[in-house]
Amino acid sequence: MSTILNKSSLNFLLQHPWQLALAIVGIALGVAVVISIDLAMESSLTAFDQAGKAFSGTATHRIIASEGGLDEKLYTQLRVGQGIKKLSPVVSGYVQLAKQTNNSFKLIGIDPFIEKSFKPVWQQEQSKNQRAALLARLVVEPNTVLISDKTARSLHLKINDEFTIVSDSGKQDLKIIGFLQANNAISEQVLAKLIITDIATAQEVLGLFGRLSSIEVLMDNYEPETLTKILKLLPGSALFVSVDSQSQSMREMTRAFSINLKALGLLSLLVGMFLIYNTMTFLVMQRRRLIGCLRSIGITRRQIFKLIIGEAFLLAIIGTLIGIALGIALGQSLLYMVSETINAIYFRVDATSLIIRPAQIGKGVFLGIAATLVAVLPPAWEATRFPPATVLIRSGLESSTRQLVSGAKLTGFILIAGGLALALSSAQSVSWGLAGIFIIVFGFALLTPAFTLGLVQMTDKLFGRFLGIAGRLPVRTISSEISRTGIAVAALMIAVSATIGMELMIGSLRQTVTEWVQASLAADLYVTLPGEKIIGGRAIEEHQLKKRLADLPDVQMLSSALHTKLIANDEFTKVSVFELNPQSRKGFIFKDKVNDDLWDRFEQQQTVMVTEPYAYYHAIRIGQEILLQTDKGKQPFEVIAVYADYSGDQGHLSMSRQNYQRYWPDLGYSGIGVYARKHTDLKQLENQLYKLLTGQQSVKSDKDIYKASMEVFEQTFTVTETLRWLSAAVAFVGVLSTLMALQFERTRQLGILRAIGLTRRQLTFLVIGETGLMGLIAGLFAIPVGYVVAYVLIFVVYERSFGWTMAFHFDPMVVYQGLALAFIAAVLAGIFPALKMARIKPAEALRIE
Amino acid sequence: MQAEAAIIITELSKSYHESGLRHDIFKELNLSVNRGEFIVLLGRSGSGKSTFLNLISGIDCPDKGKIIINNTNITGLSEHDRTLFRRHHIGFVFQSYNLIPTLTVAENLLLPLELIRRITQKERDNVTELLAKLNLADRLDSYPDRLSGGEQQRVAIARALIHDPDVILADEPTGNLDLDTGQQVLELLDILVRKAGKTMIMVTHSQEVIGKADRVFSIKNKSLVIS
Ligand SMILES: Nc1ncnc2c1ncn2[C@@H]1O[C@H](COP(=O)(O)OP(=O)(O)OP(=O)(O)O)[C@@H](O)[C@H]1O
Ligand SMILES: [Mg+2]
Repeated sequence: MSTILNKSSLNFLLQHPWQLALAIVGIALGVAVVISIDLAMESSLTAFDQAGKAFSGTATHRIIASEGGLDEKLYTQLRVGQGIKKLSPVVSGYVQLAKQTNNSFKLIGIDPFIEKSFKPVWQQEQSKNQRAALLARLVVEPNTVLISDKTARSLHLKINDEFTIVSDSGKQDLKIIGFLQANNAISEQVLAKLIITDIATAQEVLGLFGRLSSIEVLMDNYEPETLTKILKLLPGSALFVSVDSQSQSMREMTRAFSINLKALGLLSLLVGMFLIYNTMTFLVMQRRRLIGCLRSIGITRRQIFKLIIGEAFLLAIIGTLIGIALGIALGQSLLYMVSETINAIYFRVDATSLIIRPAQIGKGVFLGIAATLVAVLPPAWEATRFPPATVLIRSGLESSTRQLVSGAKLTGFILIAGGLALALSSAQSVSWGLAGIFIIVFGFALLTPAFTLGLVQMTDKLFGRFLGIAGRLPVRTISSEISRTGIAVAALMIAVSATIGMELMIGSLRQTVTEWVQASLAADLYVTLPGEKIIGGRAIEEHQLKKRLADLPDVQMLSSALHTKLIANDEFTKVSVFELNPQSRKGFIFKDKVNDDLWDRFEQQQTVMVTEPYAYYHAIRIGQEILLQTDKGKQPFEVIAVYADYSGDQGHLSMSRQNYQRYWPDLGYSGIGVYARKHTDLKQLENQLYKLLTGQQSVKSDKDIYKASMEVFEQTFTVTETLRWLSAAVAFVGVLSTLMALQFERTRQLGILRAIGLTRRQLTFLVIGETGLMGLIAGLFAIPVGYVVAYVLIFVVYERSFGWTMAFHFDPMVVYQGLALAFIAAVLAGIFPALKMARIKPAEALRIE
Repeated sequence: MQAEAAIIITELSKSYHESGLRHDIFKELNLSVNRGEFIVLLGRSGSGKSTFLNLISGIDCPDKGKIIINNTNITGLSEHDRTLFRRHHIGFVFQSYNLIPTLTVAENLLLPLELIRRITQKERDNVTELLAKLNLADRLDSYPDRLSGGEQQRVAIARALIHDPDVILADEPTGNLDLDTGQQVLELLDILVRKAGKTMIMVTHSQEVIGKADRVFSIKNKSLVIS
């Protein structure tokens, strides 16, 4: 391609620095959001995987147990009795620093003398002798630990220093005898959250006497004998799983969450695409005469096409590079929010810093460049259609745009219908449900120009008289430049409708959850008994505590819950074991009509109730049986009811304590509900209860619990909130860039207006009036679209992502806010171009054609 | 004499700076135009004719010198006041592209009036009447881009006159028109402006117009010379 041609193109771009900068910002923001979400999500999960690898090393399999862990005798039986050598016992749990209780660590107890082939992180020491000596000391000296040198430095600790930690069973001093070194697979940041010690110390610190958390197993490709030996000795409460499948299932668990986040990222990119499309169209239109000239001197269509694509590619690369940098910065702050959310609704992750992987960056690069090129195809094609040399008049162009508008309208209707069909028929798939929403929103976006045109023409007819001629100008400009204004309105509409849709959805969910939490909080006070539930000592203490509570004169009755895990279908399933009373039974919100004998059957027969998400995930209906693994083999439990629960999206079972105790060991309680007699002073009772508690046990009122639950609820939406603002920001840049382009094209016209006698201030109002009107239109249109989005989110996506059903709760405030958001954003976006245009000297403006 | 002068220009200087270089257009230019006088301005392309008109209308500012129109020194006014002055006292006809494409013919005409005051029904009737005079009675609600070049320019002239300004500035009003149409437009200007006793400065190369002018100047050597 001719270098002079390229130079003319580059010069042209440089003559429009604002357009250029805004297009790049648009691409960069879109890419940044996508990358940051991906990085934050992956980093959280990778941190989880790596933390596992730190102590499991090359282990391929793992014996894991429910609450209370494995009996350590199992390890001896397997190793000594069965002669399986490649085993590594692990005891683990969480502890906090006594000085900084918000700084928590995973304490891992290991056996230093296991097979070397495991290559866990604590074996990675430079000198062999040194390592052997250190590991020996770990066993010989009580309460000695290894931590990462990074952590030691940040806590101002040296080798042989002691520090105090707090666990569920109390305080303990630990002594540092060596440092952990990061290896390839495990990053520094993961190590920074670990404390390694020997089995005995860990058991003591965590109060897990005689128990193991897991046994890591290293098996070559195919060792059927080993497998049989292990399976034969496996107790009813334990599972033998492959390490890969376990980490896979963790990922599975967060899949819906992750898909929802990524959808939000793509939303930003979609809005960004409108922006790019708009900019490139502007840059092409500005040059229609130039391109005509080029064609007349013999430049081919293909060359023109290449030129435009080449420009877009350049912008895409610059934008993407900035986007990557921005995405990494953004990802760091998202990481915190994402891992907090995962902690709140799924499992514990300790991700402190972003792990940047080429895969995620690559994905962002690909999306950024692909999105840009797709967005630029229509204007690039249009550029090739300019006939050689002839000067095109705007009206000719606009009449073909009008055709385009009605074409877009038709396509829009088809897409909306298609999107709805896809969303409704997408069965269990969250991705398809979200894809449906995307198509619906995109369809509405295509309707936007037609809607805008209709609305401004109506405004002109109805109010034109009152607006005066100057007031009619902005209205007219929007309709005459509909090819451009329509796109800006569409981009803003998408962002605002997404906001309205999500806000309505979150509002509905909030309402539903509020009602549910309030209904389930039947007791006056709740005693929480945290920590790992184990057979023996602690369980016995908890029983004694419960008896003492029952004996208090002001206490009328109690209820209790134990949250543990049982095995169904070779998978751990969360189970709540209840002792209920007539009042607490009222706290269950059933999804179907239930029979009067429900509670008798719950207590006396071999039955369970399941939560709504559980029923949804496992496609379980009332009357079916669930097989639960016990020490005496699998036992069938009939499902007798499905009830509402919004505490997580994996769902769980509940059974009566009587049923539980028939097959499984007593693990004490997770919480006890206290029902006071009438006219009792609850504050006083709370104090009485408090005196009976020890360690980490606590007492909370129903209000405290309500507050805490709602905090968790809001926590889960902080990420969503942030991402929504980001896509609104991209839309804002889009509107800004469109307005700049529009005003720029009208420079001469504005010059004439100034020559006629329009003052600067009047011109400013004119431009801002135009953008404000565009904002209002976008806001108005976003209301029904947001409503549809909310509808699909509530009744399709959320039901499928999390198995939650909720009632549609319409909050008019959301609509007003959406409208205000659109209007304010558009007015703000208008200010800059308005000022810029008002500042241009009319004499200069008149020189421009 | 003094009272008769509509425009007095004294020691007007204007230059442009481009890539660090100063480029003088006028140096200490003087001119006095009487009320009702019709002046034609000649000069080669690039000599500064448009710049001159821009300075008089106040859409551009001189480096030095005074421009007094109707006893108002517009070079001493603020940007805002200059705009208001222009709104009331000056009518501008440009070479081309000078109607607002998003307003109808009637609206284009009413806009300068609306900027000054509330439009009365009488003024609306005036517009209809004026357009009838221009043979454009049926194009009242058309948009400019549907009109021919000559028709557009006739509307533009009407717009420059609608608010009854004292001074009309026309920058090659026929530059984009064919000979015949140009002729019509010029005749129109002649009728509407001269007969109404308004002061006019026009840039044109039409011999016929030059013949009708009271005085003809051309810009040479950064100054005005009678030709
Ligand atoms: N903003 C500007 N910056 C630099 N130079 C300028 C600017 N505006 C005008 N000029 C220069 O001032 C000179 C006079 O310009 P002007 O437009 O007044 O000429 P003109 O006599 O009207 O020409 P034409 O007959 O071609 O319309 C030209 O040389 C032009 O290049
Ligand atoms: Mg000129």
